[in-house]
Amino acid sequence: MSAVAIDPWAGLPEGLPIELPKGLGLPAGFSKGLPEATQERLSGLRRLLAEKYPAAERKPGGILPTGFAPVDAVEGGLRRAALTELSGGSGAGALFIHAMLRAVSREKCLAALVDAGRSFEPEGCAPSALTRLLVVLCEDPAQAVKAVDLLLRDGNLSLVLLDLQAAPLREIRRIHASVWHRLQRLVEQTSSALVALTPQPMVEGARVRIALHAQWTLAAQRRWRQDIFSEMSARVFPRHGAALGSEPDGAPDGAGWQNREESVSA
Amino acid sequence: MFAAVLLPNFRLQAALRFREELREKPVAISDEDEAKTGLLEVSEAAERMGVRPGISSPQALARCPQLTLLARSRPQEQSAQAALLEIATAFSPAIEATADGYCTVSLQASRDQDWPALAGRMVEALAALRLSAQVGIGPNADLAFLAARNARPMLVVQSPGAFLANLAIHELDPPPELLAVLRDWGIHHLGQLTSLPRGELMDRLGPEAARLWERAAGQTERPLRLVRPAEEFVEAYEFEHEVDTVEPVLFLLRRFLDQLALRLENVGRVAGRMTLTLALANGGAHERGFTVPSPTASVDVLFRILHTHLEGLRLEHCATGLQLRIEPALAERQQFQLFESPLRDPNRFGETLGRLAALVGAEQVGAVEALDTHQPGILRLQPPRFHEITRAAPLADDLAVGLPLRRYRPAVSAQVHLVQHRLISIVSEKARGTIREALGPFRASGGWWESDRWATEEWDIALENGGLYRLARAGNEWRVEGSYNLPAAAGREACQNLIPLPLADSKSPPG
Repeated sequence: MSAVAIDPWAGLPEGLPIELPKGLGLPAGFSKGLPEATQERLSGLRRLLAEKYPAAERKPGGILPTGFAPVDAVEGGLRRAALTELSGGSGAGALFIHAMLRAVSREKCLAALVDAGRSFEPEGCAPSALTRLLVVLCEDPAQAVKAVDLLLRDGNLSLVLLDLQAAPLREIRRIHASVWHRLQRLVEQTSSALVALTPQPMVEGARVRIALHAQWTLAAQRRWRQDIFSEMSARVFPRHGAALGSEPDGAPDGAGWQNREESVSA
Repeated sequence: MFAAVLLPNFRLQAALRFREELREKPVAISDEDEAKTGLLEVSEAAERMGVRPGISSPQALARCPQLTLLARSRPQEQSAQAALLEIATAFSPAIEATADGYCTVSLQASRDQDWPALAGRMVEALAALRLSAQVGIGPNADLAFLAARNARPMLVVQSPGAFLANLAIHELDPPPELLAVLRDWGIHHLGQLTSLPRGELMDRLGPEAARLWERAAGQTERPLRLVRPAEEFVEAYEFEHEVDTVEPVLFLLRRFLDQLALRLENVGRVAGRMTLTLALANGGAHERGFTVPSPTASVDVLFRILHTHLEGLRLEHCATGLQLRIEPALAERQQFQLFESPLRDPNRFGETLGRLAALVGAEQVGAVEALDTHQPGILRLQPPRFHEITRAAPLADDLAVGLPLRRYRPAVSAQVHLVQHRLISIVSEKARGTIREALGPFRASGGWWESDRWATEEWDIALENGGLYRLARAGNEWRVEGSYNLPAAAGREACQNLIPLPLADSKSPPG
């Protein structure tokens, strides 16, 4: 039986020294060692793919530092271009929001807080942080999700916080799983970090899950807020196989959760 | 040299600027005094069908049943005149608004001596604004005007004598009596007139004839009455029928913006603010102003701002007219700083804010406004000014104390049981149980110098179940203002639930 030589690159334009972003077509470095003509045709193929499927181009998202040691110790901060779910008590969530405002001020970026329970209280926030915050007060979680959708499509803000912790649980549960997947798809196209604060873990498609746990007494009311925050414990679960904003759902190597517990006890 | 820019059939052109479908059809313009004046202007197609200016509408319709009769629109004429003057200003600062649809430009200081090319650029610039112009260039203003009247579409008078010699006398619009006498004498062209001795002509026919002779000889010099066109960028349209859908309005707005963007570009400006006015069938008007976050002349950006507003607009009456006014501004030059992250696209952000306001209400979206009061519970939002953040304020130490509050809006009324001024228990929709510990009262008051004085006493309380709340009393009324932390069960349950919860597309995390 004689082998038939098939030229897989026949018909492709030649001489297109285009480098496609990672994630498109063949893995980077694949073309090393190939004949020059083949490499050029490979570049042409990559260019065709990029033109035909521009959405497939994924940019590395980067990291937004939080200043919260348990979270920053795992990946350096919040993943950009990814949906992070933060669940836990409502007090811990409020504390996290205030801490993120400080982070936004420190990183000199802009943020939005979509408040589904209309519970945000700016008391104690630094004025410099508030000038960088867009607040959207919503009637219910469904409206809040629509507002997040608009903000992600806008793409101007580095951080979008969706606070569902003060909303009734039954209303949060009405948010269909497809909505979360849609938000994840949207945020992938941006360099924003999206954080959904929920009373219980319920966000499908989240790239990272953070569970906060803290129990306070009234003695906390006499302590610096910064100290209270830094002593809060957290468990971080980055999705296994999801490199920072670069891999889609259902990664071939099997997506799952990687448990990394970072806790600082008081 | 002088240039005369003439828009023939000016009223008709102004009325047809946004009705291209009628440009090749028989159209006539009339106004409210039509009974006295007859039709004002008619299109070429109408003229070919025998319709002439000055005849009445019934006569015109008898000659041309397909004739479209349009009412004169003064707002559109003003827009066209403004556009004409703006274009003229782009060629020279010394311009005269000689008449409607006619302006004279002094080119004495012009460096460009290629007059035909200059006239061509004027014609092209006006054509881009949907105005058909005739441009004449001559050594004085009157000669330039005569050249413009005979231009197709431009004419440069290099040799005044030769140009004037063959012009008919009526081109100078002499008094009818004088014209009749000259015709009786057999004088029909300007060349024939200037061959007569000026002095004797004046002796026989008076000073009017002498002035006519000077004009015929191309010897008149008059100073221009210079004007500076107002920077008013307005386009308007009056619908023939009442409009009850948004599509025709959007269609026209797009064309308005095309024109206004060109006009802005001509004067080196961009749009800083837009005002949209819809005249309504009940005689009222809907007016809305839009500040352009990052002033621009981009038609797409400006159109999106208007579109966002109109798609959520509901009016009780149909629209009968439309006006768009743009306030010009200087283009911003923004350079992104290395370590700053200002808005990448302020206009897009402005549009998003508009959509958010339509979704949740204008007062529910914005940046937190710093208020000059200590009254608790007041949260007022104002339009954010992110695009103005150029340098961050120095980051002060975080001096906040205690847990942040999650405020109940509105506050929840409560019944509190006291024993010897000690808080013992609470019953409310949000918090219920025995009060284990309380901090307070923290008293605050203000506004005593005004009618809306306020005073409150606040406690931070811890219940037996672990919940932390803020309690307030105003008079004899107790309210739960918010929570610092809900009972422990909720938070612990959240962490415990996290581990076994499977995801649809992933494995369970290891315990």
